[in-house]
Amino acid sequence: MNTEYAARILSTLLLTSVLLLSALPAFALDVEALIRQVEQQYMGASSRALSSMQVKTSHWDRSLEMEAWSLDRDYFLVRIIEPAKERDVATLKRYREVWNYLPKVDRVIKVPPSMMGGSWMGSHITNDDLVKANHIEKDYNLRLIEETETDFIVECLPKTDAAVVWGKIIYKINKTPQVPVRVDYYDEEMVRVREIHFDDVQQIGDRIVPMRLTVLPLEKPDEQTILHYRKLVFDLPIDETYFSLRNLKKP
Amino acid sequence: MLLTLAFRNLWRNRRRTLLTLSAMVVSAALLILALGVFSGMFRDMLASATEQYYGHLVLAHADYHERRDLFAHLDENIASRYLPSDNTAITGVSPRLRSFGLISLAETSQPVEVLGIIPAREQQVTSLQTKLIAGGYPADEAGNGALIGQGLARRLRVRTGDEMVFVTQAADGSIGNDLLIVTGIFATGDSRNDNNLVLAPLKWVQQILVLPGRIHEVAMTLADPMLAAPTADRLNPHLPDNVAILDWGDLLPEMREVIAAYDVSRMIIVTILYLATGLGILNTFFMSVMERTREFGILMAQGMRPWTIRSLILLETCILGCIALAIGLTCGAAMTLYMQQVGVDLAEYITPVTYAGGTILPRLHAVFEAGNFFVPAGMLLLVSLLAGFLPANRAARLDPVQAVREV
Amino acid sequence: MDLFKLAWKNIWRNRRRTIITLTAIAFSIMLVQAVHNLSYGVYAGMVDSGVRAGSGHIAVYRNNYLESRDEILHFRDGSLVDDIAMIDGVEQVLPRLYIPALAQSSRESRGVLLIGVDPARERQINPFLKALPADGMIRSADSRDAVVGSRLLNELQIRPGQKFVVTAQHEDGTLHSELLRVRGVVSSGMKDIDSSLILVGRGRAALLTGNSGSVHELAVILSDARLEKTVHRQIAAKLPADQDILAVSWEKAMPNLANAIKLDYASQKFIFIIILLIVTIGVINTLLMSVMERMREFGVILAIGSKPMTLRTLIMLEAVIMGLLAAAIGTILGSLATWYLVAVGIDLAELVPDTLEFGGVVFDPVMRASWDPAWMIRIAVYVVCLTLAAAAYPAIKAGRITPVEGMRHH
Repeated sequence: MNTEYAARILSTLLLTSVLLLSALPAFALDVEALIRQVEQQYMGASSRALSSMQVKTSHWDRSLEMEAWSLDRDYFLVRIIEPAKERDVATLKRYREVWNYLPKVDRVIKVPPSMMGGSWMGSHITNDDLVKANHIEKDYNLRLIEETETDFIVECLPKTDAAVVWGKIIYKINKTPQVPVRVDYYDEEMVRVREIHFDDVQQIGDRIVPMRLTVLPLEKPDEQTILHYRKLVFDLPIDETYFSLRNLKKP
Repeated sequence: MLLTLAFRNLWRNRRRTLLTLSAMVVSAALLILALGVFSGMFRDMLASATEQYYGHLVLAHADYHERRDLFAHLDENIASRYLPSDNTAITGVSPRLRSFGLISLAETSQPVEVLGIIPAREQQVTSLQTKLIAGGYPADEAGNGALIGQGLARRLRVRTGDEMVFVTQAADGSIGNDLLIVTGIFATGDSRNDNNLVLAPLKWVQQILVLPGRIHEVAMTLADPMLAAPTADRLNPHLPDNVAILDWGDLLPEMREVIAAYDVSRMIIVTILYLATGLGILNTFFMSVMERTREFGILMAQGMRPWTIRSLILLETCILGCIALAIGLTCGAAMTLYMQQVGVDLAEYITPVTYAGGTILPRLHAVFEAGNFFVPAGMLLLVSLLAGFLPANRAARLDPVQAVREV
Repeated sequence: MDLFKLAWKNIWRNRRRTIITLTAIAFSIMLVQAVHNLSYGVYAGMVDSGVRAGSGHIAVYRNNYLESRDEILHFRDGSLVDDIAMIDGVEQVLPRLYIPALAQSSRESRGVLLIGVDPARERQINPFLKALPADGMIRSADSRDAVVGSRLLNELQIRPGQKFVVTAQHEDGTLHSELLRVRGVVSSGMKDIDSSLILVGRGRAALLTGNSGSVHELAVILSDARLEKTVHRQIAAKLPADQDILAVSWEKAMPNLANAIKLDYASQKFIFIIILLIVTIGVINTLLMSVMERMREFGVILAIGSKPMTLRTLIMLEAVIMGLLAAAIGTILGSLATWYLVAVGIDLAELVPDTLEFGGVVFDPVMRASWDPAWMIRIAVYVVCLTLAAAAYPAIKAGRITPVEGMRHH
């Protein structure tokens, strides 16, 4: 055999195998599963929570105590316990429909599209957040952009024609324990508009969950919403019949 | 002496005098009437815009009108605290608190504007009480009665006595919600009011919004709406920096533009009217003087100076003009009075028209305005003088012999 | 015939008086005709802009959508748009779907009324879209382009080219969202329009509610407003009989505009009546005077055997001739004035700030007249009749003279 010919074949083989090898990730990180887990950290298959929310805006300082139930990502019921003036005000979400119960007038009111952009209970969380937030992988392409010793940084870019207002969302997730640290929301021009960060990490049953989340509207530096879970229980024996309009009313 | 002669001359030829007089009187009276109707239309437009909802002057935070920000509220006693109390020009003062929210029904909701008012005070500023088709203003200042528009009542399918749930964002971040009971229904013809507006007691709105003792604006009426801008200028210096009084021109810039355009077309029509009237008078007067040329010629032949002739004619003209004026003004006033009290009702043919923020009622009526009397009067006199002057001059300059020969 | 010649000669015996009277009458006719034609032109212009920005000369709705604005009242337009467009006199047919929705950007949200349109057709007609640059309009009925009012854009804190999301209630009760991108901006100067206008392609809009192929309104624009009645009939014939779809005239669909015009016109008529009355008084005056001073002459005529009737006829003839003459001159002058107002018009731009509204429609600052020959002739005829009527009293007076009285008269 001709040495020159053999050398050429060998080098081609080598080149090809190097290319092939480098195309494979070091280990396959299922980014979607990671994010889904983060978004569902407070839900599980079903959950019940007692939480308090502190809201500070330029117009008010509010403090609420609430009890909430959830099933998958599609059913959600929350009832206000404190302050007394707002006791038994409740919100029910089923898929993409939302209702409010107002005990003072004893009426259930369906939240119309025009009110969906409005804040929920005066906080920096909107009715829309309640409805849409947990289906990130449906509307975004997820990609791990950086990995440090302690964290994963996942970038979410909207899929073409996805009906979302953000230009980019970045998740910073701690490796051990696997909990989110921070989520940054960017507008279309990549200006950071909103930030949510998580802390007070605790073990609940077999899960590790950050018990406090803070929402910061970056263009109003004096404002924030802090949601603090006091008690969290997972895997309750409830099904979708629990999330009915009648239950919305009943204290 | 000349005066006596002038009178005698007029009296001598009664027929001619009466003919001339009648022409002048009728023309003048009709002109005054036309101007009165114009002013009436104009006032109607303005009144509808301001007296249904806005008022003539509004006191509020400097940019409240642009953004209607819930949080731009004021102390409810701001008017009595800052405005001089000796204001006789202001006939009504109404504090208001505004809330935008939803009236909720089973599966749907209707966006509305709820205006918190003190019924007794509001009725001095706006005139919805004249547009009621059922019930009336809430009687209890501290209750939860509401006065709503007809379009809204239809959409919600409610009548007086029915309950409604109003939901809004309160000033403390909570969901403001409460029941309202319909005490009355109004129909202004303006769909913006009829389909969206709810009037409720001020205290009720203050409570639902969690803004005790606060208001957004103070609406005021004036005895003369046309003085709104100067009155605002006079009062503004008394107020703190971030608070201002706006007049209806500022609140309704479109109305101001319409009035400007309306003034233009009115000027055109009025000029035409003056010309027509003037021409009619000129015609009659001119002729009657011309036809006496022979007579003047004889007078001059007998020795009367040209100067005297001219004065004589001018005097006759003046007397005639003054008498015509007196009678014409009286007739004009009488007709204007009729149109003011009674008017012509066009409601069969036309429904109310919404127009640059105001609504015009389908009727023709007149108002009394000094300008509509003095100006025509002055013009009448002027035209008469002119009508007599020219031929008088001519006659005075004639050769007596030629004049006598004229037929 | 002799009488005619006599009347003619009589008129010109006092040339000055006749000329003054003729001038007065002719001038009034000219004014009345010119002002009417000016209004006629201005109203026509307003109606034209109004129907193009609104619901067309004729609008097709289901049931009472016009009053209730209930979103449920939509209907499938099928081939209706093309069928109606084929009718003679129809310039364009604009299909529209109105959807109340929430518009959201990354910073703000607002309740809006989304209008789903056929972009090509809408571009041709809608006056608010005239100022859009060539690439500023929605590209197709399905595209994600939106045309938005400038104030609304500010409130949402977004700029042209940026995206936003609209959410509305689907027919099945759930909420649907669509991504849209700002393609063009409308800045009409009218606060109402600029803070609420959102146009999208009707295909994209229908995806929100699940109403593909349906509309709430068909706005029919005619090439000539006067064809309305005939076209209305033809449209009604094409509408499906079994559904409650009906055609409505613009006067019913936009009563504000119709009534604003009617009211203005009514007050104008009032003024015209007054002007003509003033003129009539002058005419009566003139005729009376001319009769009075010829008393002696009449006495003589009667004495030599003429009948009173002849005298009366003579006076009437004099009046008629003057009337006809004045009407002719007046109409010629009126025509000249109209011609000027048609060609040049009156430019209000200096007197009045930029955008003017009347009855909900933007006013063109140049007022232009439009020929209404039928009306002009009617006015001329009225005036002649008025002159005749004015002659009645003087004629009667003339007829009652006895020869002796007359000759003694001075």
